[in-house]
Amino acid sequence: MNRRVVITGLGPVSSIGTGVTAFGRALRAGTSGISAISSFDSSGFPHYMAGEVPDFDPKALLRTLSTSEWGRTSLFAAAAARLAVEDAGIDEKVLAGAAAGSSIGTTSGESQVIEALTAEWVHSGLDRITPAYAAQVPASRLATAVNQELGLTGEAVTLSTACSASNYALGYAYDQIVTGDADYMIAGGADSVCRWAHAGFYRLGALTEKVCSPFDKDRSGILTGEGGAALFLESLESATERGAHIYAEVLGYGLNCDANHMVAPDPVSIAACMRRAHHNAGIAPADVDYICAHGTGTPANDAMEAQAVVEVFGTRPPPISSIKSMLGHTMGAASGFGAIASALALDEGFLPPTTNYRTPDPELPAIDPVPNESRPAQPKVVQNNGFAFGGNNAITILGRVA
Amino acid sequence: MNATAITPDTTGHRDVRENTLAITGWGVVTSLAIGAEEFTTAIGEGRSGLRDVTGMFDEELPEHEAFAMPDFKVRDHLGRKGTSFFDRSTSLGLLGCTLALDDTDLTVTDDNRDRFGIVLGTTAGSIKATSDYSRETLEGDKPFRVNPVLFPNTVMNCAAGQSAIWLGLKGVNATVAGGRLAGLSALRYARNQIRRGYADALLVGSAEEFSPHTAWFSHRQHAAEEGRVKVGEGSAVFVVENAEEVRAQGRTPDAEVLAVEVGTYGAPGREPDAGAGLADCIGRALRRAAVEPSQVRAVATGESGIARLDDIERRGIESALGAEVWRVRASEWVGECQSASGSLQLAALLAGHRGHPELDGAVSVVTSVSPDGGVGAAVLRGWHRARGDHRG
Repeated sequence: MNRRVVITGLGPVSSIGTGVTAFGRALRAGTSGISAISSFDSSGFPHYMAGEVPDFDPKALLRTLSTSEWGRTSLFAAAAARLAVEDAGIDEKVLAGAAAGSSIGTTSGESQVIEALTAEWVHSGLDRITPAYAAQVPASRLATAVNQELGLTGEAVTLSTACSASNYALGYAYDQIVTGDADYMIAGGADSVCRWAHAGFYRLGALTEKVCSPFDKDRSGILTGEGGAALFLESLESATERGAHIYAEVLGYGLNCDANHMVAPDPVSIAACMRRAHHNAGIAPADVDYICAHGTGTPANDAMEAQAVVEVFGTRPPPISSIKSMLGHTMGAASGFGAIASALALDEGFLPPTTNYRTPDPELPAIDPVPNESRPAQPKVVQNNGFAFGGNNAITILGRVA
Repeated sequence: MNATAITPDTTGHRDVRENTLAITGWGVVTSLAIGAEEFTTAIGEGRSGLRDVTGMFDEELPEHEAFAMPDFKVRDHLGRKGTSFFDRSTSLGLLGCTLALDDTDLTVTDDNRDRFGIVLGTTAGSIKATSDYSRETLEGDKPFRVNPVLFPNTVMNCAAGQSAIWLGLKGVNATVAGGRLAGLSALRYARNQIRRGYADALLVGSAEEFSPHTAWFSHRQHAAEEGRVKVGEGSAVFVVENAEEVRAQGRTPDAEVLAVEVGTYGAPGREPDAGAGLADCIGRALRRAAVEPSQVRAVATGESGIARLDDIERRGIESALGAEVWRVRASEWVGECQSASGSLQLAALLAGHRGHPELDGAVSVVTSVSPDGGVGAAVLRGWHRARGDHRG
């Protein structure tokens, strides 16, 4: 079996909007999702901005899960999945009776649960921790939450390959449908803003103060973000049969590992990953019309990513923009939001902007970051980049259904 | 006598037998033994890995004994250079990987390192490293005074990423957060990578560390369970390749993983029943493997004395394989090792084959059950090792 795989539902729960309509509108408008941190006490930190989803209301979005039994990240995953399925317009009973599952990516899993347990440890001792919190620690619960919310009895796999995890999840889901192991898959990612990551990125010197400005000469780092991103996948045949709206086709993906350094990106290895993704998708670099960048906004990441792009695409690469300029770095959800943005770009005919862009970087002359305003365009093939701590590179390729 | 009834295939999976995975070497790190040979010997002798862990940490522990390694230091195995900042999960995972490579006849070279990768399972990475890091931000008036060098230890893919660096493996590198299903989920992920042609060889396994956190998390949840197996730690890692190619090269695998099936049902006591779900998974896995229930010699279970989980596993097995099938309870030797448990169950079966030619070709099953409703089953066929070491 070698089926074509398409995306027929999108479920973003993000700082710039929840649901595909709100998210798409914000993406086109270049809306900022950055606000002062409210999910933890940020006093004492020199920097206090992040891409939180302060209006996240799991009770309003979820129909099955009892929200008190799940951590914030699992609820992000399940809510995003619920939205993706609603957007796909598939009958819930048909879905629950089918060979259907989920693959969900994450960096820190139930980070807020671990922080709550740690606070109990500090204030009362480990012997007093809340058992219900301990039960919520396994990151496997992210995908489990998706399946249980939707009544799916198929596989639920959580891939915790840090900040490229959603692309791993999308690739795995694609394979499940290509091979016929599953007929429907929900792929995506989720993470929650947490205190330790804010502190860690600050100490790495990777956290900017207020504004994330990828590819800008004066870019100074990331802002952490959160949310849930989900995509509904099925075979082209299935989507056509039920008359579903098709956003995009998943053409393929590539994974590799730098095996070099835990946090420093490696442009040679990233270029190799791009070639691997192109090969798997059966395309050439010249076919790519737009790149949804990893684009964290740190000086090193953007320089290395640009270098790899030039290595693969030459000195006139396709436009490459970073939606992290709007969302912040949503960690394990990041390449899931990238995939949603890519699918919308293909479907609606525009390129999302890199906001906060002021000064071109003379070191990155080949880069067209789609500065500040979305651009009308008719991309046919889009490349979605995801890189991570651990040298875990993952790139997905989406295309307009021909 | 085994029951032959298989629950109907309700999920629409097709009855196909695909290229299977060959295991060509393996490594284990447990309180019972370190290394495949030593593990095989220890299991054969029926030894227990239960140890006195008093004083292992600054924090008080809920119990004096655990299946843990109070004296374990990664530098004793891999040297001091480059290992000093490794968290315990990374140390256990990496050592498992190096032992598995020592045990196989496949060598890492510049010709294969791009298509040689790692797939490791976990619960939530090093919970202690993460919680310690989180703690630093709660103490003192400078919450940002955390150690940047230790930050990568808070991400769950630290063990796989560090192992790739240590071993120079540039192929697919994945971390599967599967909890008690992690061993089977990692195998399933690896099977997909190999059958799709994305990788030629993978180090596949899972690791779990023992810490005051894991000990108390377990104690606070399950202390009332009288027959509960004490908490443990360890890792098991397998060198996995395409079985057809291994045979074409004239090599003999330790085992073939014929099928891995997983499913998601209700948590214990909720619908849909996970016991029936496990029976379904086992049945599906046997059909994929083209094996009859009556041919299954043994089942390595994850049973660890938590009644509501063991009950699901028992019902699933009895429904799919009958009540008489021989159950291998690895947790009795290595403890309740959470995400490492499925891999250690598989290792226990391989240990049974390693020195026993009379068991060649026998089929066994590994089962896993998670407290959240996840279930899984793998089917494998094993052979003995003609020599203690492939390299002779």
